[in-house]
Amino acid sequence: MESARAVSTPRLIQLAVASLLLGSLAGCASQSVEIRSLPPDTPAADNAAAALIATELAGALASESASTASAKDAAAPPLVTPADAPSMATYDPWARLNRFTYRFNARFDEAVFLRVANGYRRLPSPLRSGVHNFFGNLAEVDNIINYVLQARPIRGLRSAARLLINSTIGIGGLIDVAKQIKLPAAPTGVSATLATWGVHPGPYLVIPLVGPSTLRDGIGLVGDFGAAHAVNLANLYRGNESWYLEGVNLVDQRANVDFRYYASGSPFEYETLRFLYVRKRLIEDSGLRKFAQPRPARPEVPAGE
Amino acid sequence: MSKMPTRLVVCALLLSLSAAAFASAPADAPIVDASALPAAAGPPTGLADSAALRATVFGTPPQDMAPLPETVPLSEINIALPWARPVPAVYWFDRRLRVWISAQKKPAPLAIVIAGTGGDGNTSKLSILRGALYAAGYHVLTMPSPTFPGFIVSTSSTGVSGDLMQDSRDLYAAIVQILAKLPRRIQITDIDILGYSLGGANAAVVKSIDAGEHKLHIHRALMINPPVSLIESVSRLDKLFVTSIGPDDAAVERLYRQLYAQLANLYRASDKVELDESFLLGAAASVLKTDAEYSAAIALSFRLNLVDMFFAADLYTGAGVVTNPRHPPKVGDSLENAARRLRSMPFAAYFSRVFAPYYLKHRANATSASLIADNRLDIIADALRTDGDYYALTNSDDLILDAPELRWLQDTLGPRIVVYDHGGHLGNLGDRQQVKDMLEMLAGRWNLPAL
Repeated sequence: MESARAVSTPRLIQLAVASLLLGSLAGCASQSVEIRSLPPDTPAADNAAAALIATELAGALASESASTASAKDAAAPPLVTPADAPSMATYDPWARLNRFTYRFNARFDEAVFLRVANGYRRLPSPLRSGVHNFFGNLAEVDNIINYVLQARPIRGLRSAARLLINSTIGIGGLIDVAKQIKLPAAPTGVSATLATWGVHPGPYLVIPLVGPSTLRDGIGLVGDFGAAHAVNLANLYRGNESWYLEGVNLVDQRANVDFRYYASGSPFEYETLRFLYVRKRLIEDSGLRKFAQPRPARPEVPAGE
Repeated sequence: MSKMPTRLVVCALLLSLSAAAFASAPADAPIVDASALPAAAGPPTGLADSAALRATVFGTPPQDMAPLPETVPLSEINIALPWARPVPAVYWFDRRLRVWISAQKKPAPLAIVIAGTGGDGNTSKLSILRGALYAAGYHVLTMPSPTFPGFIVSTSSTGVSGDLMQDSRDLYAAIVQILAKLPRRIQITDIDILGYSLGGANAAVVKSIDAGEHKLHIHRALMINPPVSLIESVSRLDKLFVTSIGPDDAAVERLYRQLYAQLANLYRASDKVELDESFLLGAAASVLKTDAEYSAAIALSFRLNLVDMFFAADLYTGAGVVTNPRHPPKVGDSLENAARRLRSMPFAAYFSRVFAPYYLKHRANATSASLIADNRLDIIADALRTDGDYYALTNSDDLILDAPELRWLQDTLGPRIVVYDHGGHLGNLGDRQQVKDMLEMLAGRWNLPAL
C-alpha cells in the first residue's frame, strides 16, 4: 500500500492496461450477462457447398468403381490392417506443460484471437479470399523446396507452375488462377519432408497460439518459417512490414478454422484432440510412405513415439 | 509464411468427423436400468430399417433441404445464473450458460429451440432450424440440451442430468433469466418452443411447466422426433452398442483399429495431401455402408455423449464411480483413465450408480420403477391430449420409438402429429415438407383434417 502512492501516473496507466489484458485472459468478465455479436450464419451457402461436395463425391465414387478393376492392382500399395493401427494411447511425456499451454491458448483465443478473427470475417469475402490466396501463393516457395527434398519433382514442378501463374496472371497471388486450370494447391512442408524420410511424429506438443502439434511438426514449423525468410520472396520477410504481414496471415488462418476452444463443453477435450490429431498425422505419414515396409505393430508403444 | 493453424483446422475437421459421421446420432435421451426393464424382443433399433439407419447417420440430403436464407444475424449470450452451484475445477471453462440468438429488426414472435442429447446451442441441426425459422419471421433463441456438459455445469440445479422434469425445470428457469436480460430492442410478440429428439420432449415439458407458472406465456410447443420413454429409447441404444460394437472397451478398440485401417487405406489410395474435411466426408460415405456400420456410428456417438453426462454427475454427486470424491481431479490432471472406463459403461450403469441413488435420496417416495415411469411423456399426457397447442413431427421408422410408443403419440396428439414414412431419427430434419409443416404448426395455421 505504501509503495502504491509513489507510482507515477503513466505507470498506473501501464498497470491498468496490463491488468485489463490479464483480466481478459483470465476470462473474469464481471457482468452476469455478456452479449456478443458474431458473423452471420450463412445457411444457404453452407447447404450449397454441401450439395456440391455430395455431387463431386457421387462422381468420384462412380469413376472409382469403374476404374478399380483395370488400373489399380498393378501399383497398389500394401494394405494397412487393423493390427497395424497405433495404440489408442498417445505419446505425451510433456503432458503437464501441454495442458497448461492448451489452457493458455483457449483463454487467449477467447479473449483476443477469436475476436479479431471474427472481425476479419465480416470483411467482404472477395477481399478475404484475396488475402488467403496471397499467403497461399507465398507458401509455394516452401512447397517447391520441400517437394525437391522429398524427391517428388512432379509435385515440385506443379508448385513452381502455380507460383509462376498466380504471381503474374493472378495479380501477385490474389487470385488462384492455377486452381481453375486444374492445378490445385498441394501444400507440404518440412514436417512432411521429415516424415517422408521416416522421422516419427515424436512427443505430442501443444504450441502457444498454434495449438495441437508434435515435436516433429513443431520443428517443421520453424523450418518452414526459416525457409521463407531465407528465400525472402519479394523482400516481404525483412523489416517492420513483415510483422504486419505475419499478423494478417495469422488472423486469416484463424478465421478459416471453424474451431472454438471448449465448444465441446467437455473436460475431455484435451484428450480428444490429442487422440485425433496424432491419428490424423500418422495416417498422413503412411500416405507419404506408401511403399515403405509398415512398422511392426507394437501395441505397448503409445502412438507417435 | 507458416502454415500454422492447419493444425487447428485438422482438429476441427476431425471433431466434425466425429460430429458428422458419428454424430447425426440419436441425440437422445438419458438413462436406463436395462435390468429393470423387460427384455424387449425384436431388433435393437426400434422401428428402424436399413434406410432409416442410413438417413439417421447422413441426415437430410442437401438437395432435399428447404430453401434457407443467405444470411442470418447471430449473437451469443453468455449468462451467469444466480443459482449456479460451485463449479468443479476441471470445468473452469463452463461457468456460464452460452446460448445463441438471431433477432429480427422489428417486433416478432420468438421461437426457442432446444438441442437433442449432448448437443450445445449451436449444432448444425439447430443451424438448419434457425435458418428456416428466421426466414419465416421469428426471433430465434437456440439452447443447449440439459444433457450438454456446459449446461450441466452452468445451469443444472442438480448436476445429474437426464431427468425429464428436473432438466426441463432448469431449462425453464434459465429461459426466464435469459429473456429478462435481452436488450430492449428485441421486441417479442409471442413465444413458441420446439426441440429435436430429447430437446422435443424438453420443449413440451417446459410449456407444461409454464402453464402452471405463467412466467413466459409460451404459446405453442413442437416436438421433432421426440422419445416417448427416455428409458426405453436409451436402452435401445445400449443394446445397439452391444450388438454393433460389443460389450467392453476391447470392442471399442477393435472398432478403432478397423476404422483406422479403413481410413488409412482410403487415404493411401487417394491423391490427397491432407486428411481434410472433403476427404473425411468421402471416407464416411465409403466406410459407413452396412447396417452394422451405421449402427456402430449411432451407438458410439450416443455413448460419447453419455461419457460426459456420467463424468459430470459422478463428480457432482461424489458417487465415486471414476472420480475420487475426496480428491476430485484438478485442473491439468489427466482424465484419460476416467474417459476410458466410462466408454465401456452403458446407460444402465449411469442409472444404477449415479442417477437412481441421487433421485431416490432427493425425491420423496421415489422408487426405481417410479423414476422410470416419471421419464415418460406420460407425465404431461393430459396436456398433450387436451391442449391444442402441442404438436409433433416424427417418422414411422424412427429408431428411438417402437410401435406402441408411436401409437401412443398418435393417440395422444390426434391430428396434431405428422408421421412421415421415412427419415429414421432426424434424417429428414430441414427437408421441404418437414419445414413447411413445422412452420404451419408453429404459426397456428395447421389445418386439422376435417373429420
